[in-house]
Amino acid sequence: MTKMEIVGKPTEALGSEDILTGKARYCGDLTFPGMLVGKLLYSAHPHARIKKLDISAALAMPGVVTVLTHQDIPGKNNFLYALDDQPILVSQFARYQGDALVALAAEDKNSAQAALKAIQVEYEPLPGVYDALEAMKPGSIQVWPDRSNLYDRLVIEHGDIQAGFDAAEVLIEHTYHTPLIEHAFLEPECAVSLVDWDGTIIVYSPGQSPHRDRHQIARALAIPEAKVRVIYPTIGGAFGGKDELHVQIHAALLAQATGRPVMLERTREESIRTHVKRHPIQVRYRTGATREGKITAIHVEAIGDTGPYVNAGAEVMSVLAATVFGPYVVPNAHIEASTVLTNNPICGAMRGFGIPQGQFATELQMDALAREVNLDPLDIRLLNGLETGDTLPTGARLRQAGGMKGCLLEAAEMAGWAERQQTEDRPAPHLRRGWGMASIIFTTGLGRNVPDSAGAGLDMATDGSVLLRTAASDMGQGAHTVLAQIAAEALGVELSAVKVTQPDTHRATSAGASAGSRTTFVSGNAVLDAAKPIRETLLQIAAEETGLPVELLSLRSGRVYADDEQLSLSVADLAGQAGQQNRRLHAEGFYTMEYPEPLPEGEYPYAHGTFTFATQIARVLVDIETGEVMVEEVIAVQDAGKVINPGGALGQVEGGCAMGIGYALMEELVVNQGRTINNSLESYLIPTAKDIPQIRARLLEFPEPYAPYGSKGIGEASLTPTAPAITNAVADALGLPIRQIPLTAERVLAAIDSL
Amino acid sequence: MTFPDYFAPATLDEALAKLGQQAGGAQIIAGGTDLLPRMRAGLVNPNLLVDLASLALAGIRRESSFVYLGARVTHAQVLESKLLRQHYPALVVACEAIGGPSIRNRGTLGGNLVNASPAADAAPPLLVYDADLLLVSQGAERCLPLADFFFGPGKTALARDEILKEVRLPVPSGRTAAAFLKLGKRQAMAIAVVSVAVRLTLNQNSRIDQARIALGSVAPRPLRAMESEKVLLGRPLEKLPIVEAASVAAGEASPISDIRASGDYRRRMVEVLVRRALSSACQELQREKIGG
Amino acid sequence: MAEITLNFTVNGEVAKVTTEPVKTLLQMLREDLALHSVKEGCAQGDCGSCIVVMSGQAVNSCLVLAAQVEGAEIVTLEGLSKNGRLHPLQRQFAELWAFQCGFCTAGMLMSCYALLLNNPAPTQVEIRTAIEGNLCRCTSYRAVMDAVLASTEGGHLP
Repeated sequence: MTKMEIVGKPTEALGSEDILTGKARYCGDLTFPGMLVGKLLYSAHPHARIKKLDISAALAMPGVVTVLTHQDIPGKNNFLYALDDQPILVSQFARYQGDALVALAAEDKNSAQAALKAIQVEYEPLPGVYDALEAMKPGSIQVWPDRSNLYDRLVIEHGDIQAGFDAAEVLIEHTYHTPLIEHAFLEPECAVSLVDWDGTIIVYSPGQSPHRDRHQIARALAIPEAKVRVIYPTIGGAFGGKDELHVQIHAALLAQATGRPVMLERTREESIRTHVKRHPIQVRYRTGATREGKITAIHVEAIGDTGPYVNAGAEVMSVLAATVFGPYVVPNAHIEASTVLTNNPICGAMRGFGIPQGQFATELQMDALAREVNLDPLDIRLLNGLETGDTLPTGARLRQAGGMKGCLLEAAEMAGWAERQQTEDRPAPHLRRGWGMASIIFTTGLGRNVPDSAGAGLDMATDGSVLLRTAASDMGQGAHTVLAQIAAEALGVELSAVKVTQPDTHRATSAGASAGSRTTFVSGNAVLDAAKPIRETLLQIAAEETGLPVELLSLRSGRVYADDEQLSLSVADLAGQAGQQNRRLHAEGFYTMEYPEPLPEGEYPYAHGTFTFATQIARVLVDIETGEVMVEEVIAVQDAGKVINPGGALGQVEGGCAMGIGYALMEELVVNQGRTINNSLESYLIPTAKDIPQIRARLLEFPEPYAPYGSKGIGEASLTPTAPAITNAVADALGLPIRQIPLTAERVLAAIDSL
Repeated sequence: MTFPDYFAPATLDEALAKLGQQAGGAQIIAGGTDLLPRMRAGLVNPNLLVDLASLALAGIRRESSFVYLGARVTHAQVLESKLLRQHYPALVVACEAIGGPSIRNRGTLGGNLVNASPAADAAPPLLVYDADLLLVSQGAERCLPLADFFFGPGKTALARDEILKEVRLPVPSGRTAAAFLKLGKRQAMAIAVVSVAVRLTLNQNSRIDQARIALGSVAPRPLRAMESEKVLLGRPLEKLPIVEAASVAAGEASPISDIRASGDYRRRMVEVLVRRALSSACQELQREKIGG
Repeated sequence: MAEITLNFTVNGEVAKVTTEPVKTLLQMLREDLALHSVKEGCAQGDCGSCIVVMSGQAVNSCLVLAAQVEGAEIVTLEGLSKNGRLHPLQRQFAELWAFQCGFCTAGMLMSCYALLLNNPAPTQVEIRTAIEGNLCRCTSYRAVMDAVLASTEGGHLP
């Protein structure tokens, strides 16, 4: 492969100057003449029948322009994810605390707030079901009259489970719990909608999938999708929480009803109350192994509480099921993943999508096994670790798994794992030091037999500058920068010549969701697909201009080279020529995630094909009198396939660790009878600068076949090992494992008491 | 949040007069760091805000054997004051642990006290330093020990027509050492789960002449653990019954269970923090002794 | 409530705004002065996204009333660069990837700017304290602290 000019080089984020000077426009910064303020009324109860809804007083209030209820929705009154079960505006039943009853628009915030208060609702509060295990019992209150609380139960089987456990000389079985988690993106949800001069409904909002947003908006407003335009401004974080629609449809309905621009923003409290969360999941994990520590079989039962509306629930549980065996050779497996309905807050996509929850259990289980067979945690992972060519319990064969042992060994080396016994384990009478590791497998893409494709457009202008039209969402993870790098490299132009459009359904074809760590892979390949014919045309023109054979010519950073000699010809010259010669310098690329190998008969039909690996090691101090856990250091090593932007990639790893530290130590949305109690950033705690210790991170490259330049997703795998590594470290410090996070001081102290 | 009226008096008398006029609907605002969130949450709904900003209430001065802090002294000012660092180090440590710099730049000691959260971080140190409060009303002034000021969450001895003007602290003399410890659920921007301040003063025979132990977040109000203090009185520095005092202090707490912690855990942490704070103060006294 | 007219300076320029006195500074900056860099993340002082510099000190603009700004000097992110030239903090934030989604960044930069106004050569500990009230969900804060160190005179990365 030729030396690369741009891919692989540390690259400043696109749009950085706009963000750093305050010019960047987030949704809440947009203003339009005559813009109204929209607000939503949310249910006062997590489960209730709406007996009476009287909006007349609100309608009569000064400054109020319109007040909408479910009867005013022209099209479908539901969101559409896995099911169309969640209403946009409740008609009869509110099923969780975040169900909206009314959407209104007024001239200003104060009028809108006052009008909300004037809406009269008569509720009949109903008993609800607020515990997933209770919900699964016969005789439980049913969330829906016509379907079971057990919405889905997926079973993945591989090998001969009975034989596997028969062969086991050692059995470990434990149950693990992870909590309900809030994304806490700094930008609360917002949408601005207006009716364009030609009747098109425009919706600006932060999101992760503009075409999917468009589809849902259109069907609710009963207009063709082509008459809806979704545009993403700069986005203030998402982490999966803006993958699904939030207030876009409501804003569009209000714009459609009033004919005026409407801005609908959620307050932080409304945000925490209403938007999807990370599933709290209970995992019961039984591992069978030989006395030497080699896994022979696993039996896993995972139960996830998804709230009343399915959203991404079954998918999250299925991704958990498809990875809960961890980065290990597991010859026999029986995995059950249950998606349970309750009247608790809705759960959906959040960074990791079930894998952090599942592999929290996996990695604690590995340490438990290590203790049982008296092996070092590193050695048991090396003993069982996957290698290239191995087959997973889903049936997928690993094209590239060098990263498993590669990251594991590198992390151990960086941490000084072999010498860790030499560190003082009792630095003070009340302190205990511990070391823990976690090694994980993560997926790139959405799985076989799931729509997983992306389009991208490249238009080169006659001056050689390039418009990259993508619907992939950059939520801060640096997706646009990476795609621009790929485009610039492939077209042989300078990075500064590439302009990436904001995601816009009128400008770019669907890229699918910016989720599943798939954007670099799928959209990157789409960009390469679009670049190919343009590059060929440019080289053809260059060959004609120079009289040299095409094979000798290359394009680099805007100039033409013959072998390695720079010619006087520039890419801009070629582009100018193309215009003169009726030659096309624009193309639409398209890529679908590939599965070139057939899946063996009887195996899991939605298995992923691309995997990444990561290992993290944490060193902690535990105060055994207070129970406080202090993380001293985290070592994070991750396989990125190929690092396209080293600067951005490192940030993704460090940021993932930071989120993982919060997950391990302090984050939990507390729910009481369906109501979240800690609805603010004062009571829902995420790490501050003082809570994050030194993180030493390194990215390794085990190039992935079929990936653009060999790269694969980073942003979710970086979060996954942190909490189990810290939890294993605490177990090491105390001499006993704790199987639930967050490791609050009180929980740790209770564990110490039980010693 | 409905919009109240706003008034910025130029003198204390003007402020007091306005309070009197409003028959209970007026609310003093200083830094606003507690008040504005409470108004936003609908917990308080004043029809008038009386802003103390223009009043000369933010001075820190020493007058003979007292230090006077104006009620509007911000937590940031406390951190910057050499005088306070010298004589009231436990107060400085407590103020460092309040919010972040931007909150400390606005939040005031007076506000911290009058807001009367059981978790008010400035209260335990001010209690162990024997603070008195100067409360003024139209034509009258009274001086009240801080120990008598708190009644319960959000409830103080401040009358509707009174303004807290100053905090008065005696300058500690002799051999004295103090400590402040706070337990929170993260390392910054945390409301105290438990907070503790202690101060020990020795007589010439190296015995405890004065012991002060104050607890925060473990009762409806910040309070002195009087029984625990008695355990230490008259005892020699070399053999202080710290463990016993800490245990007694835990018994004097009446903590509730809330989103941050259970009552049982809080009670246990009183013992731990009092023990550690007393040890710290002792060590400091012993170092002073050796230093000569 | 009658509106009042406030006179103060913003980013070095005289500003005159007529508004409700108990509107917050955050709302006034965004709505009356179109200074959109100032972000609302929580509206009650928990997140730091709205931090601006007021008379040389970092403050949460969501906790300051418009009326309290009379005569003050306010600096927002829009005022950090001079004549189109980026402040060293801005340049280092860019070069060292000290931001990702950027929503916390204005408040973060203002906290760092306020720190440097009062302490031109801060230690890492002092920088960490200066930003302890700025929540960031994307980064680990490490790059922010490195950027501040790198931006100081004679500063260098550890």
